[in-house]
Amino acid sequence: MKKETGIPRALSYYNNYPFYKGFFDELGIKVILSDKTTTKLINDGSKFVVSDTCLPIKVFMGHVNNLIEKGVENIFVPSIQSIGYKINNCSKIRALPDIVRNTVKKKIRIIEPVLDKTENIGIFDFCTQIANSFEIYDKKQIKKAMENGFSYYNNFLMMTQSGIPYIQALNNSLDGIFEKKNIELVRPISLCIMGHGYNLFDERISLNLIKKLEKMNIKVYTSLDVPKDKALFALNKTGEIQYWANELELTGVAAYCMQNKKIDGIIALSTFGCGPDSLMVNEINYHAKDKKIPMIHLTIDEHTGEAGFVTRIEAFVDMITRSKKQNLIKKQELKPLIKEKQTEIQAERYKRDK
Amino acid sequence: MSYNKSEEKLKREIFSKRDNTIKNKDRIIAWPRMGRIDIPLKAIVEQLNSRYVIPPKNSNKTLEIGVKNSIEGICLPYKLNLANYITALDMGANTLMMFQAPGSCRFGNYTTMAYKTLKKMGYRFDMVVFDMYKNKMKQTLEALYHVTKCKNPIRYYRAFSLAFSKMFAIDEAEKQLFYYRPREIKKGESEKYYKKWLKITEETNDIKEAKKLKEKIKEDFKSIEIDKEKSVPVVYLLGEFFVLLDPFTNMEIEKTLGDSGVEVQRQIMFSGWLEHVLKPSFIYKQESHRQRCERFAKKYMKRPTGGETIETIGDTVYGAKNGIDGVIHIMPFSCMPEIVSQNILPKVSREENIPVLSLVIDEQTGKAGYITRVEAFVDLIKRRKRESEKCQNQETP
Ligand code: SF4
Ligand code: SF4
Repeated sequence: MKKETGIPRALSYYNNYPFYKGFFDELGIKVILSDKTTTKLINDGSKFVVSDTCLPIKVFMGHVNNLIEKGVENIFVPSIQSIGYKINNCSKIRALPDIVRNTVKKKIRIIEPVLDKTENIGIFDFCTQIANSFEIYDKKQIKKAMENGFSYYNNFLMMTQSGIPYIQALNNSLDGIFEKKNIELVRPISLCIMGHGYNLFDERISLNLIKKLEKMNIKVYTSLDVPKDKALFALNKTGEIQYWANELELTGVAAYCMQNKKIDGIIALSTFGCGPDSLMVNEINYHAKDKKIPMIHLTIDEHTGEAGFVTRIEAFVDMITRSKKQNLIKKQELKPLIKEKQTEIQAERYKRDK
Repeated sequence: MSYNKSEEKLKREIFSKRDNTIKNKDRIIAWPRMGRIDIPLKAIVEQLNSRYVIPPKNSNKTLEIGVKNSIEGICLPYKLNLANYITALDMGANTLMMFQAPGSCRFGNYTTMAYKTLKKMGYRFDMVVFDMYKNKMKQTLEALYHVTKCKNPIRYYRAFSLAFSKMFAIDEAEKQLFYYRPREIKKGESEKYYKKWLKITEETNDIKEAKKLKEKIKEDFKSIEIDKEKSVPVVYLLGEFFVLLDPFTNMEIEKTLGDSGVEVQRQIMFSGWLEHVLKPSFIYKQESHRQRCERFAKKYMKRPTGGETIETIGDTVYGAKNGIDGVIHIMPFSCMPEIVSQNILPKVSREENIPVLSLVIDEQTGKAGYITRVEAFVDLIKRRKRESEKCQNQETP
């Protein structure tokens, strides 16, 4: 069997790729990535699944298709069932290998490891399953590969948490470079984006949202800035629990930013037809209203036009800027008013005294 | 592990924010409507000496209330449940029972959401969650004690055996109805029988009598005159739990099919499910429905993935292997687990050679949205059946 595997550049790729890469490298398995998401790729992927399926799954299918076109035989499609006791993923992510198996006509081999903490199938079992499907059974070797994966992954996390942009951190971690950014630019407005990594960091799906905001001179907080444990703590503090496996990327981050950062607004980015998101966004909306933080919910699908999308963001940012200015003016105007009044009174007194 | 446990504890705490300020004698219990679940539940609550209100059957009005008070993009069962709660609270209820579905899908999240929504609307109530995930008899009893404060174990025994007998009776009546409806000579006769027996079941309060109900129903239905010669195709009805069991939500598809001469079989039945949930696994010796589904679905799905996906796939394969003529798969719009099924079913249908029709229940389009498709599907399976019968006849001259 060929020691190579294709990894679709979608879904768990965005959060876990450094780990996968480190792991496969150490085992001596060549990794082939699919191309970046394009409109054509999405259209190709949509043909595999029914139209009500959410966009990220269509994108995933597009990437699988892309790998097949490249002639890759083994495709890595993990089934991440749960990441903690009864903290499940959404059904579509859990059933990912099954969806691929039953919708792709061409004969491929699916590498389908399962991670299911509810049933006590942990990360080591996950890695063992991968290695076994490449006929590697040596436990020591697997452990070592796992450690290598984690070291890539931890570097990646540390870099992103220090404020390095996603792509740069990803490339650095793969090249074994470690850098930290300590100077933070002070920007007039800061926003928190809650959204799945696979939506946010896919430049096609998110229509480059982060870059667009940064161009408008806005500081953006995303799931990359917030460590998981802190996000969970903040979430519990608001009286909510982690119900979904990828919940911390959304509610956790938003809760953390609301409590610890001076944010001026929240942007919720989700895709049309996503079940968990509609609940999570609602949950945060509930708390944001209490704190009077403005919030906007952007829903995208494959037909979302860039122009309309930009208009909505701009309107939201404008609104924030305006209300911020007004608050500033209110604060500043009060003082001179008082002074003027005082001088008036003094002048009158002066007149009277004369 | 310890981390997991504390997490679980926290969850339970949040889920069971119980309100003990409501005095026991003032408690009025209510629960959401789903099919005829009210009959057994009423029996339990009555036996435990508590008061209750039952909101009216799900209808367009219920849906309206639900849609008005919930967010967009949430699934249909939630909207209906919420509306049931609101009407019940308006009718004077102050203790709400909430059931969590076995598939552990979005439903788990719904309890907290419904709780918050109702509190925000200004209602004062106590919400008790019945977590129906793997055998949970102890928790169920504990929750029941909380709402009724009944200490007498004999009463619990009576309550449960009555409820179970009633449930079996209802299921039996339903099965008979499915069988007789397409075959009856006088249109509407079996439905009359069915309604009659539901009423009797509802009114029976004696345990011994209740236990006999099932047999009696079987006997009684036999007096319906049927057309023995008629060739009746059999269709499996599969899909999302709530939609399957609530006739309003599935727009009485069972009746539509029965009237057009098709026998419906439903694998997900109340009693089967409740038995599986409540009885400890060592009593449950035979292969449960779920296990059977996992076995049959193996070729297509290697793992259960939440909701009723594995049941849908497994039963389709099982049906195909057991001479079922077709499968109708129903799901609410935007249901996540069933979208997975919907994606897998075409291949199952092709490879197992069984026709499958997927219907998405959309509250906006209503029945008109799918009736022509159902008719076309019925024609298709009838034709297929005729052809295969012809083939058989030719083979054995
Ligand atoms: S979480 Fe939402 S976007 Fe992600 S796969 Fe599930 S439904 Fe789709
Ligand atoms: S199974 Fe479907 S309808 Fe039921 S809670 Fe889950 S998504 Fe909603």
